[in-house]
Amino acid sequence: MVRFGRKEVYLPNAVIALIKSEHLPATHAKFRVPLTFSKLDLRDYLFHAYGLRTDKIRSYVQQQRVQHDRPDATVPQQNKWFRPKAIKHMTVEMDKPFVWPEDPESWEPWSKEIYSQLQDDADGRDKPATKIKEAREEAQTLAKQARELLQGKKRWRPTPVDEVVEEVDRDVKI
Amino acid sequence: MATAPLARFPKRNCGLSSSDSVLSFLAPSLPTARSTPRSSVSRFSTSSSQWARDNNKNRGVSEVRATGLRKRQTLHVTVDDLPIPIPKEKFTTKIPVDENHGLWGFFNKEKRLLATPDEDAAHGRAWTVQELRSKSWEDLHSLWWVCVKDRNRLATEKIIRDTRKIGYGAFESDERDQTIRTTQRAIRHALTERWYTWEEARKVARNDPEIDLNAAVREVYLPMDYDPEVESDSPETEAEAETIEPEIAEEQPESETSENRSRKDRRAREVAS
Repeated sequence: MVRFGRKEVYLPNAVIALIKSEHLPATHAKFRVPLTFSKLDLRDYLFHAYGLRTDKIRSYVQQQRVQHDRPDATVPQQNKWFRPKAIKHMTVEMDKPFVWPEDPESWEPWSKEIYSQLQDDADGRDKPATKIKEAREEAQTLAKQARELLQGKKRWRPTPVDEVVEEVDRDVKI
Repeated sequence: MATAPLARFPKRNCGLSSSDSVLSFLAPSLPTARSTPRSSVSRFSTSSSQWARDNNKNRGVSEVRATGLRKRQTLHVTVDDLPIPIPKEKFTTKIPVDENHGLWGFFNKEKRLLATPDEDAAHGRAWTVQELRSKSWEDLHSLWWVCVKDRNRLATEKIIRDTRKIGYGAFESDERDQTIRTTQRAIRHALTERWYTWEEARKVARNDPEIDLNAAVREVYLPMDYDPEVESDSPETEAEAETIEPEIAEEQPESETSENRSRKDRRAREVAS
């Protein structure tokens, strides 16, 4: 028999997130809770808000890494240090098993392909390997153009610098 | 390392049989071919120099350094012999999940993994304080819990989206979250207003001769006999007492001032006579 607290909280402000963890059995569930939360708080919350009966609860506070400057800084300073707030995780044991829903058949609504492409581009933008690769591709394109020009496959034309101005009133006789 | 000088020691100094040792003893300044070491510094390697190479075929082949196979090295198995892994779904039993499991509350109504950005964006503006003032406590409380559960769902989906790099949708999610928070703020605002109104009304009722906070529920408000002079004297008090009467009826009676009590005793005597 599980006992519950008697303090009545009418307007709870805590945000709790369910986290998927593959290594846990189906009767366990992991949550990300506020740092102020205790095991008893989570038990009461889950039972009264979601009708979930829990048995034992494990708690773990994950300290975050130190980083340079705050995350919202436009130009991060190297001599300023910032440590994000620690994250508290709790794993509960439930009476009934739960399996997460399967992935959707298509990620099209989230535009995953475009998103990953842009992310990869952004990640490798300033890396020397990317610069070398880009330079090599440019050189290869230039060599190909030169070859085609020498073989007579293409004719050289000057690149149009200015836009071609069309005379609108050409037919009007003054 | 320790074996190197020991091994060379008899060769160098105690070579008794050869004639070189005698010569060197007689004329130590003359360099000899065998007995004198080539250099005074002992060499690092302990292996004898007469072997050009050892017969170990696998010299230099290391798993730790991931050198790979040496030339013409054959293994007992080929790639074709390797077993094909069985997919996880084949040997894991499917766990039946209760339709009314509490954890479904962290997902959308269709019990899908994620709501699409379009679904998250399909919402209106937040509730305003003006709209919420007329709602009952039950309505406000249920609305608050709807907000709490939706925020929990959004937080769950945000973690999925971030860890698995699923794609766009963070903007829509944040917008929805912000709207919900505005609604929650409005609910708190409306309730705070209500509390202050109630507190002020109680202060007024404490000094009102027509209201007895200690009385039973139906006898809290006993209006005096109609008197046009009294009405003209204090019309505001009467009006306020009437408006706050239904709210007061629910509250527990509290202690009153002595002045108020004497006034009420007088009134009771009048009624009795």
